[in-house]
Amino acid sequence: MEQLYGIFLYGVFLLTMGGIYAVLTLGLNIHWGFTGLFNAGVAGFFAIGAYTTAIVTSAASERHLGGFGLSPAAGMAAAMIASAIIAWGVGRICIRLRADYLAIATLGIAEIFRLVLKNEVWATNGPRGISLIPKPFEQYAEPWNHIGMLLLVIAVVAVLYVLLERARRSPWGRVMAAIRENEAAARAAGKNVERLRIEAFVLGGALMGLGGALMAHHIKFIEPNAAEPISATFLVWVMLVVGGSGNNRGAVFGAILIWTIWSAAEILIARLPPEWAVKSAYLRIFLVGLALQFILQRYPDGIFRERRFRTAPSTPNREQPP
Amino acid sequence: MIEFLNFYLIPGLVLGSIYALGAIGVTLTFGILRFANFAHGETMTLGAFIALSLASFTGWHPFAVLPLAMAFTALAVLGLDRLFFRPLRHGSTIILVIASFGLMLMVRSLVQLIWGAKLQSFGPGIQLPWVLFDALRIFPKHVTIVCSAVVLMLAAHLLLTRTRAGKAMRAMADSPDLARLTGIDTERVILTTWIVGAGLAAAAGVFLAYDTHVESQLGFKLLLPIFAAALLGGIGRPYGAMAGGLVIGLVEELSTYPWIGTDALVPPGYKTGVAFAIMVAILIWRPSGLFRGRVF
Amino acid sequence: MKRMMIAVAAGALALNGAAASAGDINVGSAAGVTGPIAELVVDIVAARNLAASHVNEQGGLLGGDTYRLVQGDSQCDPKAAVDAGAKLVNVEQAVAVIGPNCSGATNGMAQSVTIPAGVVMLSDTATAPSISDLDDNDLVFRVAPSDAYQGRSLAEHAWAQGYRKLAVTYANDDYNSGLAGVFASAFTELGGTITGNEAHEPNKASYRAELATLAAGEAEGLALFAYFGGSGITILRNSLENALFGKFLGADGMMDTSVIEQIGADNLRGNILLSQPASDTEGASYKAFAAAFENAGAPFVAHGYDIAFLAALAIEKAGSADRSMISAALRDVANAPGTVIRPGEWAKAKEAIAAGEDINYEGASGAIEFDENGDVAGTYSLNGVGDDGTWTPIE
Repeated sequence: MEQLYGIFLYGVFLLTMGGIYAVLTLGLNIHWGFTGLFNAGVAGFFAIGAYTTAIVTSAASERHLGGFGLSPAAGMAAAMIASAIIAWGVGRICIRLRADYLAIATLGIAEIFRLVLKNEVWATNGPRGISLIPKPFEQYAEPWNHIGMLLLVIAVVAVLYVLLERARRSPWGRVMAAIRENEAAARAAGKNVERLRIEAFVLGGALMGLGGALMAHHIKFIEPNAAEPISATFLVWVMLVVGGSGNNRGAVFGAILIWTIWSAAEILIARLPPEWAVKSAYLRIFLVGLALQFILQRYPDGIFRERRFRTAPSTPNREQPP
Repeated sequence: MIEFLNFYLIPGLVLGSIYALGAIGVTLTFGILRFANFAHGETMTLGAFIALSLASFTGWHPFAVLPLAMAFTALAVLGLDRLFFRPLRHGSTIILVIASFGLMLMVRSLVQLIWGAKLQSFGPGIQLPWVLFDALRIFPKHVTIVCSAVVLMLAAHLLLTRTRAGKAMRAMADSPDLARLTGIDTERVILTTWIVGAGLAAAAGVFLAYDTHVESQLGFKLLLPIFAAALLGGIGRPYGAMAGGLVIGLVEELSTYPWIGTDALVPPGYKTGVAFAIMVAILIWRPSGLFRGRVF
Repeated sequence: MKRMMIAVAAGALALNGAAASAGDINVGSAAGVTGPIAELVVDIVAARNLAASHVNEQGGLLGGDTYRLVQGDSQCDPKAAVDAGAKLVNVEQAVAVIGPNCSGATNGMAQSVTIPAGVVMLSDTATAPSISDLDDNDLVFRVAPSDAYQGRSLAEHAWAQGYRKLAVTYANDDYNSGLAGVFASAFTELGGTITGNEAHEPNKASYRAELATLAAGEAEGLALFAYFGGSGITILRNSLENALFGKFLGADGMMDTSVIEQIGADNLRGNILLSQPASDTEGASYKAFAAAFENAGAPFVAHGYDIAFLAALAIEKAGSADRSMISAALRDVANAPGTVIRPGEWAKAKEAIAAGEDINYEGASGAIEFDENGDVAGTYSLNGVGDDGTWTPIE
């Protein structure tokens, strides 16, 4: 019985983390899936959101900027605003770059952000990070504290899902798809392509900031290592592409599926005999990589394909004939 | 002045030539296969470890086993291409990027499983430099590294300009559609691309390992500066990649020179940011890179 | 999706049922096995596992149960640490958690997993002062002293060795940046001069430029705070090869045999001083550990052994695998007074506990007396390279 309860609690943790990743993936879906913006700097917006809420909600400390004492809800709102502003700035500079170039530029910018967080110790406590970030529902006893957090995350994902589905079907969403498929035609139709792209970039950036803020509250601690590109950018990409880019349901599903594989693989690996010690951890990463290759080859268009308004010729960027 | 040469310019050149070798592979895969290969850093690591094993097995100098290590690495990469990239080649390129990310994880953990995560090195101890004119300090190992890098780059140059395969590669990088129309065998070009890119990456890994040490994250740590170098030179431009590598290596080192006053111009904590800042600046003001590469 | 989740849960349950057989007592062993300090963690994990095998070879826990360390990969990242902690505490039903490595990972895992679950966490490597601030219901312990101690101690040693002007460089990570800050201010308070104090980004191929800039301050030596693998060895090599610095001071993050292997004993002898928490590497506890573990001097390895052994002692003392009793039992077995137990002496400890005696574990890393925050005070020895080419204490 205790074991069942334990597995239930782990499931709560798993879904909370998967749900937070789903927020990031939904944000990325606005960039890549809807608009075709290859943003490889998810970690940057994630970090801005996480640090913003950490600074405005954590208690005063001589180690970092803080002591504003806002509630987590206000912190999350501030996180979204801060990342939206930064996304606007980055978008103004980089938005006209084509797909792969935008990717590398955003990757570089995210790394520069991370260096700033590490080096501007007066504000961020540098590599030591910000601790004691309040967590919603933490005053309740286990398991209600964890369940409360999970419900909050589910609610956020659900609201975002509904709103984004509406946006996708709205004229705005159709124009975005048009820009992605054929920029010249959209331009010819009198659309201000750059402005619309920046709008999408800002919206997606704000969601990534929200994801970062949720993560900061969930783990109650944030440091630059938490925003390194593997687990805060590439993993989100894997989730979106596996789930099916351009499809919000796919984005959410991909996030939860990949996070489950990433996390639960360790439970299997822990069954290996102790002689394997550190090797088992390497093996886990290997298996995760292998599982990813398998899914990519089995579902090259993602598990959920994009639902199009009408039959479109092909996926973006395809240059070679099938 | 002499300090500038000893501690900023020469190390910058050594680092730059290592970046350059790595960047050639990135730019070729980017130009010909159309995707940013995140597993390229891991190719370097693999090359360094293969050379380490060969050197300890045969007892030879690491540079003596280098050709063999390059060959083995190329072979391994061809195998990985066959298994993981070829089945996806006709889908959208983002799938290839994600597959290369998965491959990066797999190769690194495989390296850790086989060789472990601890530091190893070709030859322990330190090497004292030759001191010329009582001031200029030149390290034998740096001479070997830079010379070998130049030889390899020359070889790459000859391959690209003098051989059929090389010409086909350049044609593909310039304009894939046109190349296909003229009847170039795409799969063969891709094969050569992997061999050249992987061989040079292995060499870059061995050089870096020879200068410092080998460990499982050696290549990953180089990945971003190498992307920056490839981009700086212009995608699909091997010469651009060479120049870009040198520039990034030099600028990283020179950024900490006390140009103004006695403090480093850029605080060393931000040193890695310099490569990215240049990269972003280049992208914004001259997206075709120094050598007018392709803009997709 | 729902079916999938059920399948995953069922699978996990089946495996769990199979593995956690009646005779096992699970303790979570979280470590940053992959991630930025992978090379450092290999030996730490090996030392923890050595402690477990000592326990199991000498009679096991309680009525002969197997002491099982279940490994979790905290990746030196608080996100991964929370995930690993959730698995160890809930799925593996760990009685206590040892580790994780890195202060950030410790902070995250403690606050969002182990403290709410009422599980004791015992860290071997977390040195950040912020861990003392946690509102932890006496559930977070560490045997790695807060770096306030080590930085000050090293500064005093440096002063006593006659250093008056030093340059400081540190890897910009949670462990080394804190240490460097304390060292620099303590050394200045003593009257010394810091000619330059610069962070560097770890894992670069060369540090010649940074070192040349620091060397321009004409310091007598370089205080180098780094992990040996991330940047420490590279900086030593760059400095010596280019004659930028000849004398070095450092902390235990540098104390690995691979430093001597890579740089060469003759190049380092007389030129490098490293502080190490094990106050008496000549002491019986350290020697007992060193006899059993090959790379005993490596950073935090002794600490790794100690936490694994202490967790077992606490379970034995509590008399049952009951999470709620570990915290009190831990203080009991670690703090004086009592029969002194040293590394490897499980059978003796088991007997003493069975006889109702109070015991006092004197660890390989130090005496280990927990204060009210669950911290230990640090006393440090200075080490250099001895005639036999190993790290040796210096008077």
